[in-house]
Amino acid sequence: MGFWFRLNLLLFAIAILSTPVLSDLILSKVDRLIDLTSQIARITSTLKVKNAGSGLVSEVLLAFLEFQANNLAYLMATTNEGKGKIKNSGVSLPIEVANPKGMPPALSVYSVSLPKALGEGDTLTLDVLAVFTHALKPFPEKITQADIQLAVFQDSAYYLSPYAVKVQSLSVKLPDARIESFTKIENTKTHGSEIKYGPYENLPPFSYSPVVVHFETNQPFAVAQEYERLKFHIGATYRSQNITILNMKVLKVRVNFPELLFEPRYPIFGGWRTAFTIGYSLPLQDFLFESEGKRFLNISFASPMNELVIDNLIVKVVLPEGSRDLSVSTPFPVKQRQETKISLLDVVGRPVVVLEKANVVPEHNQHFQSFNKLAMLREPFMLISGFFFLFVACIIYVHVDLSISKSSASYLAKQQWDEVQATIQQVESIIKQCLAIHENLEASLRDHSRTGDVQACKTTRKTADGLLKEHSKELKPLLAFLQSSPAAAHILPKVEELVAKERELQERLMAKHSTIVDCYEKKLGGWEIENRVAPQQQKVVALRQEVEDLLDYIDEI
Amino acid sequence: MAPKPITSPVPDSWYPTLSVSMLAIGLVITASFFIYEATSSKRNRSLAKELTTGALASFFLGFGSLFLLLASGIYV
Repeated sequence: MGFWFRLNLLLFAIAILSTPVLSDLILSKVDRLIDLTSQIARITSTLKVKNAGSGLVSEVLLAFLEFQANNLAYLMATTNEGKGKIKNSGVSLPIEVANPKGMPPALSVYSVSLPKALGEGDTLTLDVLAVFTHALKPFPEKITQADIQLAVFQDSAYYLSPYAVKVQSLSVKLPDARIESFTKIENTKTHGSEIKYGPYENLPPFSYSPVVVHFETNQPFAVAQEYERLKFHIGATYRSQNITILNMKVLKVRVNFPELLFEPRYPIFGGWRTAFTIGYSLPLQDFLFESEGKRFLNISFASPMNELVIDNLIVKVVLPEGSRDLSVSTPFPVKQRQETKISLLDVVGRPVVVLEKANVVPEHNQHFQSFNKLAMLREPFMLISGFFFLFVACIIYVHVDLSISKSSASYLAKQQWDEVQATIQQVESIIKQCLAIHENLEASLRDHSRTGDVQACKTTRKTADGLLKEHSKELKPLLAFLQSSPAAAHILPKVEELVAKERELQERLMAKHSTIVDCYEKKLGGWEIENRVAPQQQKVVALRQEVEDLLDYIDEI
Repeated sequence: MAPKPITSPVPDSWYPTLSVSMLAIGLVITASFFIYEATSSKRNRSLAKELTTGALASFFLGFGSLFLLLASGIYV
């Protein structure tokens, strides 16, 4: 380990001597805080940048050693316009990888674009957050279960920068435990679990002084080797499923923000692994929005798990069928492609947008958006048409004649019987209509006893008469057919009886009706009416009963 | 323009009620369809009546089964 550092130091010494000064910026004050309390190393640097030259400067370069830059998961730079303690209004600046000429080798350089160019003599405060994964290495690599876990971290006490630094200090924050050893150079102090290096003054660009911190940490190093997030954007709700392979970390349950606590079935020691799946549904209105005819989905990208490092993250967003014009915008670069997924009630398949990214840390848990348009009534129509198809099949089955031989005796007999049945049904319906007319007549009589209107009775009788005549005309051909058909032989007498009885009923009812109307006209008393009508009334009732019995009998055949 | 959140056109709490009522209506209409098929003879049948009854029944059954799937948690 020591040799490797010395090699780097040698390289930088050469580099320092052979590099021209890049631009006229000077860092007047640099405060760095390296947070090593979890497995993810977070370095927060506050740089006071001053333009000591005469030109306008629109970018600031940040340099990292290549071995560090490989582990760099997240880099963010913000300007701090507020004074003093107001730190919230930081605006995130665009950062790009840069390859300026004349840089020493084994350096990765990033360029931060300033919102407005820095003029001569102006100063600017930049907050840079760099997050590194796999930066803490367990040392020793293998321990027994009873031993304490020690990790080692390497960095530079001097801020590595292409610019000269006037004043700088470094503070390394360790978890509350034992510090095994750390590099002691000038101006090194410890305060509890914090190591302070500095302040150092007037250092040239690319100064580097390696420090190694060896300390105890009790944090589990949960690393998800493959993490797949599957988000179903469905008509009513939004569902997400995660499949991961990792060490487990327990979380707490809180009231306002739902938090999930889960424990593995066995405690997981270093080097062990497990795999699990989590699925949950969320209400749609927190995530899905509509604007200008397009819909967009605004969701968080990485895992909601605490302090998890993900080696390879795959996010699949499944959009409803029929979505078009998909586009995704993320605050950091990802690899993107599109697939199709066939799911329940799908005809063509749902479009899936797949985003891949390596080396993900919780800082990546920011919103990203995807746009689409869609038609929503597809599923009900599919179901409806499915059922309708069943009904149409029924109809076709009933209508289609599937018999093989069309001239066999039984087939012909069946056909004839069908015709007879149809005729009888028609007869029945006509007779039922006649009975309804009888009801009308009786009702008119009752109305008369309420309202005393004789004319109404008469008109009702006239219309009833006309209708009944029509019905008997209709009945004639039907009866003729039944008489001629041999298959109806056994039922014909009953039908004829029915028709005859119904006719008799008609006549009696008509007679009764006219009698009563006459009585009313002559203004005879109630009991007189009763007397005259009584015999007819009895017969009417009896006949009606017989008619109904016959109808029932015919129905049952 | 500020984006407005999208919710389902039918409130979530209605799903079970809607599914039961639509399925009930659909089944009743299905029953009437089959009764008509069974009792009418070949000549008396009217194709228009069959088709309308079938279409109405399938409409209600379709929506009813969709809401049934949604209410039981299968978010199709």
